[in-house]
Amino acid sequence: MDKAVSGMFACLTVLRETRIPRPVLAELRAIAGSENLRLADGELAVYARDATPLFRGMPDAVIVPADAEQVARILRLATDHGIPVVPRGAGSNLCAGTVPLTGGIVLSTVRMNRILEVAPEEMLARAETGVSTMALGDAAAAHGLFYPPDPGSRTVSTIGGNVATCAGGLRGLKYGVTRNYVLGLTVVLPTGEIMRTGGRLWKDVAGYDLTRLITGSEGTLGVITEVTVALLPDPSTSRTGLAYFDSLTQAGRAVSGILTAGVIPSTLEFLDRSCMDAVEQYAHLGLHPDAGALLLFGDDGDEAVVARSFERITAVCEDSGAIGVQTAGDVTESEALLTARRCTLPALSRLGSLTILEDASVPRPRLAEMVTRIDAIAARHRVTMATFGHAGDGNLHPTCVLESAEDTEGIARAERAFAEVFRAAIELGGTITGEHGVGAAKLPYLRERLGSAQMDLIRRIKTAFDPAGILNPGKLGS
Amino acid sequence: MTGDDKVSHTGSVTHTGSVFDPELLSRCISCGFCLPACPTYALTGDETSSPRGRITLMRALASGTLPPDDPTLAEQASFCLGCRACEPVCPAGVQYGELLEQWRGFQWTGRRRPLAVRFLIFAAERAWAHRIAGLLRGAAHAPAAAASQRSLMLGCFERSLFPQVSRSARALAPELAVPSRQGCCGALHAHNGEPDRGKQLARQLGAQLPGQIVTTAGGCAAYLSAVIGRERVVELSEYLQNRVTGQVRIGDRLARVALQDSCHLRNGLGVWREPRALLSSVAEYVELPGAAGCCGAAGTYALVRPRDSRRVLDPKIDEIEAAGIDYVVAVNPGCLRQLRQGLRRRKSSVRALHIADLLRLAAD
Repeated sequence: MDKAVSGMFACLTVLRETRIPRPVLAELRAIAGSENLRLADGELAVYARDATPLFRGMPDAVIVPADAEQVARILRLATDHGIPVVPRGAGSNLCAGTVPLTGGIVLSTVRMNRILEVAPEEMLARAETGVSTMALGDAAAAHGLFYPPDPGSRTVSTIGGNVATCAGGLRGLKYGVTRNYVLGLTVVLPTGEIMRTGGRLWKDVAGYDLTRLITGSEGTLGVITEVTVALLPDPSTSRTGLAYFDSLTQAGRAVSGILTAGVIPSTLEFLDRSCMDAVEQYAHLGLHPDAGALLLFGDDGDEAVVARSFERITAVCEDSGAIGVQTAGDVTESEALLTARRCTLPALSRLGSLTILEDASVPRPRLAEMVTRIDAIAARHRVTMATFGHAGDGNLHPTCVLESAEDTEGIARAERAFAEVFRAAIELGGTITGEHGVGAAKLPYLRERLGSAQMDLIRRIKTAFDPAGILNPGKLGS
Repeated sequence: MTGDDKVSHTGSVTHTGSVFDPELLSRCISCGFCLPACPTYALTGDETSSPRGRITLMRALASGTLPPDDPTLAEQASFCLGCRACEPVCPAGVQYGELLEQWRGFQWTGRRRPLAVRFLIFAAERAWAHRIAGLLRGAAHAPAAAASQRSLMLGCFERSLFPQVSRSARALAPELAVPSRQGCCGALHAHNGEPDRGKQLARQLGAQLPGQIVTTAGGCAAYLSAVIGRERVVELSEYLQNRVTGQVRIGDRLARVALQDSCHLRNGLGVWREPRALLSSVAEYVELPGAAGCCGAAGTYALVRPRDSRRVLDPKIDEIEAAGIDYVVAVNPGCLRQLRQGLRRRKSSVRALHIADLLRLAAD
């Protein structure tokens, strides 16, 4: 594990290994147009990172193709010349999944940003890969429909990026994650073929389920250019409430209580005291000033059903020692609470210049135990660890806040603490990443989670899709 | 010379590491939540012209990763509107406006400063000229009676470009003193490469005008507050809350009126409900879909980058035309000038007015 740790943080600077030959640049220019090929140092520097701290890699070019046809020509060219290609949506991922570790071409999907159709009679939507998650949700809502996955970055993240990382979000407990909604994909293979997987059908067992394989493949198997997603009817009522507890462990126990009381809330999130402080500073919601932890719960659906589940949740919280329970009065207030929760990570950076966050996930009954273990690990390694997360689905985001990004000694302590957090998660039957993805950030831990047989199979799958190994090197299976 | 050094126009060597306040620069965690709020990112889809991208560039300048004369640095420091729409959406609390001031303080020194900016700063420095121009054009004038009084700020360019604004403001609030001896608030300097001189002018103005300063320009309100304190500055629509009566009518119906927010008033001071409340009380208020977004005036931007300024303005004029309104109201003179030019080019029948003038129409 220690070797893995050093690998994880050794990527601070990566030497540029590739240079793109002049004739290839000319061809790239011919494919996408010179205004969509960026080569200046300043322009490249901006694409050297994503939302993940500590990982950087300078690309040699940034290209912004208009459609699948152009993507296919770019990939064919890159395969012929052995040039790495790193697909990028909004660059809001938290696993260094879009950092061009070995240089090469960053392929930005922002120009492929049209919503192609919303089909109410089939309850689906079709969109190009660069459409933002929120825009897709709004388009569905305009037809009385609902796209449930809502990662914290939904205002900026792209649907293609959501599929590539199998993004989760606040509604995972009741509605599942991105993979549960992907019906079909258009994918360009590294060798240049444009392939359609799945389609508009809810039942379709012809062939391997490549749609699911590509969902969560983090841009290592192909470039997604179009997505067909399933939609649900927009729930008529949705409400949000808060319960305050003395400690996160206590809140964790309330979560188990709620889930065994026959309720599946649409949202069940918790925040510890540090997270509450950070969120309060940003959103001014008037959160409890002394409580040790906050549980944010929500449900949606038929009005009577929501009322009943709120009664039960409130009762369980009170039985579990909640020091206060509040329910939001109206939709605006609910939305403010959810928005504040989505902003927890960036808001935490008010507490220090460097925030390193993790994404461990454990089986629901082990949640309280995991929280206690995280506290002990943080104390042992003398790091400030703020914890928030999707309590309902056992997905935790312990976040290390450091005063300065130059604090190498602090970063080293954080590394050691996180190594133990991962180990604890795996011991409790959990995983190293619930929803953020493996990327470059967690690749060193992947073998421990999956075992050798699975890792080797992943390598062989990668080679079958990408014989030249050009797509997103240094990530899954490469 | 190392990558950290640069030779400034005076020949002295400065360290690019000291261009920015490191504490401010370290706030950004690159989450990207600012991307959808940025007008120039909306134009280009290029992260280089997004707030997150520009902060990456600032860091590259500070660390020496990019040389001080890198063309992307120069282009992006200039292409940014400085509208600060990225600030309210930033959960990490990055003070982007402050960082941009520091950046321009470096990029726009000496001959690297755009010609239009040099001219405007030269003109703004001639306080006596504004005083004469204001008197000739008939801007409001009312010497201070008591020291504790509130005073109306005339603004260096508003005074001669839109003299009726101060007259309307005073008609609505006759208790305001309007000393004719008042200079520029320094926002122009601060946003265009002279942050120190800007602060100096703001403090001077704070000393010239007694008591609380009421201003008719959102941009000046935000800058002045940042330097001399929020408690000393009130923007006109804040000041007039619950004090305006009457109606603006077109024939036998209420006038349909929309608002164009002032970026710094909204994003810097968080004042946007107040002008809406006033307009709703005297007319039929129509919210434009993009009311909160920059109109492209952006201080000197319309002069420095006229083409980009129009690219930002054009969709807004489309919205105004489509909204079926009689008036579009501005709370900042730069926005007023920009809207008037845009509407004139389209031969639109919609009129652009300063909020003081519209409220005076209601009172009359």
